[in-house]
Amino acid sequence: MTSIRRINGPGLMVAALLLVLWQALIGSGLATIEYLPAPASIARAIWSLAAQGQIFPELAHTLGVALLAWAIAAVIGLSLGLLLGCSPFAWRHTMASIELLRSMPSVAFVPVSLLLFGFSVKMELALAVYIAQWLILVNTVDGVRGVTPQLLEVARMLRMSRLERTVKIVLPAAMPVMLVGLRLGLTVSLVMAVVSEMICNPAGLGYQLVFEQRALQTDRMFAYLAVIGALGILLNAALLLVARLIPGVERRGGLAA
Amino acid sequence: MRAVLPRRASRTAGPQSARKTSKVPPLRGVVPFLLFLCLWQLVGTDDSVFYPRPSSWLQALSLLSRQGVLWPATWSTLTTLALSMVVATLVGAAVGYLVGRSPPADRALLPTLEFLRATPAAAVVPVFLVFMGFGRDMAITVVTFASVWPILLNTRAGARALNPVLMDSARSLHLGPWARITKIVIPALMPSIFLGVRVAAPVAVVMTLLVEFIVQFYGVGSLIAAAQRDYASAAVYGLVVVAGIFGLGVNSMVALVESFCLRHHGPGSGRR
Repeated sequence: MTSIRRINGPGLMVAALLLVLWQALIGSGLATIEYLPAPASIARAIWSLAAQGQIFPELAHTLGVALLAWAIAAVIGLSLGLLLGCSPFAWRHTMASIELLRSMPSVAFVPVSLLLFGFSVKMELALAVYIAQWLILVNTVDGVRGVTPQLLEVARMLRMSRLERTVKIVLPAAMPVMLVGLRLGLTVSLVMAVVSEMICNPAGLGYQLVFEQRALQTDRMFAYLAVIGALGILLNAALLLVARLIPGVERRGGLAA
Repeated sequence: MRAVLPRRASRTAGPQSARKTSKVPPLRGVVPFLLFLCLWQLVGTDDSVFYPRPSSWLQALSLLSRQGVLWPATWSTLTTLALSMVVATLVGAAVGYLVGRSPPADRALLPTLEFLRATPAAAVVPVFLVFMGFGRDMAITVVTFASVWPILLNTRAGARALNPVLMDSARSLHLGPWARITKIVIPALMPSIFLGVRVAAPVAVVMTLLVEFIVQFYGVGSLIAAAQRDYASAAVYGLVVVAGIFGLGVNSMVALVESFCLRHHGPGSGRR
C-alpha cells in the first residue's frame, strides 16, 4: 500500500481482535474444532522450532532456491525482454509463441521438471526459473514498448547511439514496469519452490508443511504456513525498499499493483 | 487470437504502458514454437525417457482416452474449475461491494483481507486437507479460496470509485434495493468484477491442477501424477498439453463472457 506514515489503526485492531477471539474460543476450550490449534500454540510451535534450530536449514533451503531461481530468471527475462522490446521485428515473430507458453498452468510443468531432473534441487530451480522468467520477460517487453515516443524522439534529436539510447532513455523509462515484473517473479519463484517441495523434492519448508499435515501435527503445520507467508511478505517488502532507492522510480508512478 | 490472450493492461502498471501494449501480437509469432515442435518431431524418438516426440504424446493421449480415464478426468477438472469460479465471483463481488461501499468496514477489514490474500494459496492446501479430507468439496473450497481475492479486492476498488451521481439518481428514482442492485450497481461494477475474474481464472486453473496432483484421486492433475510416477513421459507431455488447453480455454471463456456481459449490461450499453 502506501508509506508507513499512514498506518490503518482500526484495521490492525480488527485483525488483532480476530486473533484474540480465536485464542479465547479455542484456547480456553469454549469451542473445539478438531485439529484447529489456538494462535498461542502456533506461536509456541514456531518458537520451539526456532529454539531447536530445526527450522533454519529448511528456511535456508527454500529461500536459497527462490532467490537463485529469481536471479537466473531475472537475467534471462530482462535480457530477452529488452531484445524483444527494442526490436519490433523480433516481437512480431515470437511474441505469440511466448504468450502461448506463458499461459500454460505452472503446476503442469512440475512432472516435466521431475522427469528431467529427478528428486533434486535442480528440479526445483528449473521449475521456478521457467515460471518466473515469463513474468519478468513479458513485463520488460511491456515496459520497453510502453516508452513514450516523445522520449525516443529526444534521443534521436540528441543523436544518441543505440547503446546510449537504451541506457539513458529506454531503461529508466521502462523501470517501473520492469520492477513490477521482478516483484511478481520473486513471489512466483518462492511459490514454485514451495510447491515443488510439497509435491516432489523432499526438502525445505514446503516438504515440512506437508510432513506435519500428514502427521496431523497441526500446530507445527500452521507454524510452517506462517513462516512461508511471512517469507513472501518480507521478500516483497525488501524488494520494494530496494526499488525505492533507485532514483526517479517513485516520481514516475511506478511500483503499483 | 484476441479472445485467447488475456488483456495486458491489467497486469502491467504505469500510466504510459496501457496505450501501446494493448496491441495484441500478430499470430505469425506462433511460427517459432511450431517450428520447434516440428524439429522435435524429426529429431526425437518415441521411446526417449526425457524427450519423447510430439506424435507419441498424441498416441499416449488416445491410449488414455481408450482406457476411459481421460474424459472423466477432464470433466471432473472442468466442473471443479467452473463451480469454483462461479462461487468465487459471486462471493467476491458481493463481499467486495459491501466492503467497498462502507468506508468504516473498508478501513476495518482491509488489513485482514490483504493479509489473507498475501498468504500463498498453494501452501494453504495442506490446511484444507486436514480439515476437509480429500473430497471434491475440498478441492472446490480451496480453489474458491485462492481465486476469490482478486475478484473481491477489484470489486472493492470499483465500489469505492462508484460515481455518487449514480447512487443519487437511484435514490431520486425511488428504486427499491433490488432494482438498485440490478440496474445500477451491477452494470457499473461489471468492468471491475471482470478485471478480477481475469486475474483469478489462471489462478483457479493452477490451483485445481495442484489439488488434484496432491490428492491423486480425481481430475487431470491425478492423471499427470500417475503418468509421472510410472515414468510414462509421453503421457506426461500429452497431459501438459491438455492442461495448457485448459489454461487457454478458461482465459478465452472469461473473455467471451466478459464481452457478452459488457455488451448487454455494461456501462454505456444503451439500455435506458
